Amino acid sequence: MTDVEIKKTLEIDEAEKLLPLVLEIIPGHAAEGLIDIYEPGSYEGKSLRKLCDRTLNKKNLSIEEQLIVEDVNRQLKGGKFLSRGQEIEGTALEYAVSEKTEAGEKYLYVPIRAIKPQEGGIRIDDC
Amino acid sequence: MKQLFDSDLELVVETDFIYMPLLFDPEIEREIQDFQSGKPLENPIKPETKSIIKLKGKHFIKTLNLHSFIDNYEAINPYSYQRLRNECLRKYQLTREVDGHFLDETLRLILFRITPYFIKKNKGLNRKKISDEEILDLIGEKTNIPEKYYKEAKTFGDLKPLKKILEELKNQKPLFKMTENGLHSDRKLHDWIHKAIQAKVMASEHHRIEKALKLREQWNQTKPEHIAILLYIADTGSLEIDGFGFTRHNSYKGEYLVYKRTGDYVLKDYYARSYLFPECRVAVSTYSPSMPFVMEKYKHPFLLGHKTGQEICMKDFVPSNEFKAENVIRTLEEGLTAMRYGYNGRKRNGYHSLDKMWVHIPTIDFEDYRI
Repeated sequence: MTDVEIKKTLEIDEAEKLLPLVLEIIPGHAAEGLIDIYEPGSYEGKSLRKLCDRTLNKKNLSIEEQLIVEDVNRQLKGGKFLSRGQEIEGTALEYAVSEKTEAGEKYLYVPIRAIKPQEGGIRIDDC
Repeated sequence: MKQLFDSDLELVVETDFIYMPLLFDPEIEREIQDFQSGKPLENPIKPETKSIIKLKGKHFIKTLNLHSFIDNYEAINPYSYQRLRNECLRKYQLTREVDGHFLDETLRLILFRITPYFIKKNKGLNRKKISDEEILDLIGEKTNIPEKYYKEAKTFGDLKPLKKILEELKNQKPLFKMTENGLHSDRKLHDWIHKAIQAKVMASEHHRIEKALKLREQWNQTKPEHIAILLYIADTGSLEIDGFGFTRHNSYKGEYLVYKRTGDYVLKDYYARSYLFPECRVAVSTYSPSMPFVMEKYKHPFLLGHKTGQEICMKDFVPSNEFKAENVIRTLEEGLTAMRYGYNGRKRNGYHSLDKMWVHIPTIDFEDYRI
């Protein structure tokens, strides 16, 4: 599913707002990132950016997770968090989609990419 | 020569020589009489062998020396020699393509260090580093490997035939047994010659067999399914999973194009109007220096024209000349980011503006992408 299509499916119903939230912070264009799970009641009312900061500052990370955090921080030097093709602002629920584990348990999922900008090219006025 | 061996003639082999049936007319009969009465040949090749022999009432004349024929077959019939050679190498999985590319260092780096970054490795919410074996398992799950590679993997794993050939070569044993003296049908002789030539091919590939055997011994503990995957990749030179892939370079031997698909994406112009861009493959060559480029015929504000293989215009980025996994990943990411997120409608950065500008500079038109 492309980013364009995903945006159309972002509406989640009221009952789903009580589900746990899974946040995945992905460095650059990697396929996988750092996963963090927020229980219902722990993420509502908090900005998505704040949740990202909290996830990245978590202690007791595995070596693999630490490497991902390093990668994310490298991208964030002058970079930004993007979700569903746009810079994040507001709460997690605005970007969440409902998904299911293999065992059938429902959760809300928000993928966030840390992208270092590449402005590419010259300004058209400079031509 | 070919006509002779494809005929229905019966031929005689005598002391390593092929004797052809002798046409019989009065003049030839006279010559035979003279010859048998003791007149010597002007330049006898092998005086101890007879030039004409009689078998079952038919006369046969000495023609080719079998050893000489087999030794020079490559020059006599290059096309047939090549076919026999290829057939023989295929039989033992010694084709040059597979040998040369079976997990060379570049391929190893792409498969085990670059691919894992761009493909989904874990199911559900698990996130763990996976081993090289697990990567091959994943490729097996996500790629349709043709059945023939599983069969070839079995041949690859069977070291006995190559060991036997190598041993015989080391002991200087002849790899083929000389055909028996006597009358032979052309078909029988034809088959024997093919076997002899293939044995000669194997002897000439001595070093290659040694190398192949060494390689196969290294992979002897590897699962046959993994060997099948590696043979498939070595043979086809390409693979694609989850929009990430690589393909062997046409121009540079042993080099690859590593690419990632962008997926469809939207860019906005100066007036915040949206343009839907179709997917393309952003690629990096392992042959340095490696600026990212778009493989397809494509247009974008950061591409100068509307054609294939255009380098993406980048700002403040110089790719590293050193071929390392992190360098390839970084260069690919820079290219992908530039394409998907780099254009700023308000700044109109790039070679072209998405919205039409009333300047007299020929530029690319993006109206067809407007949504």
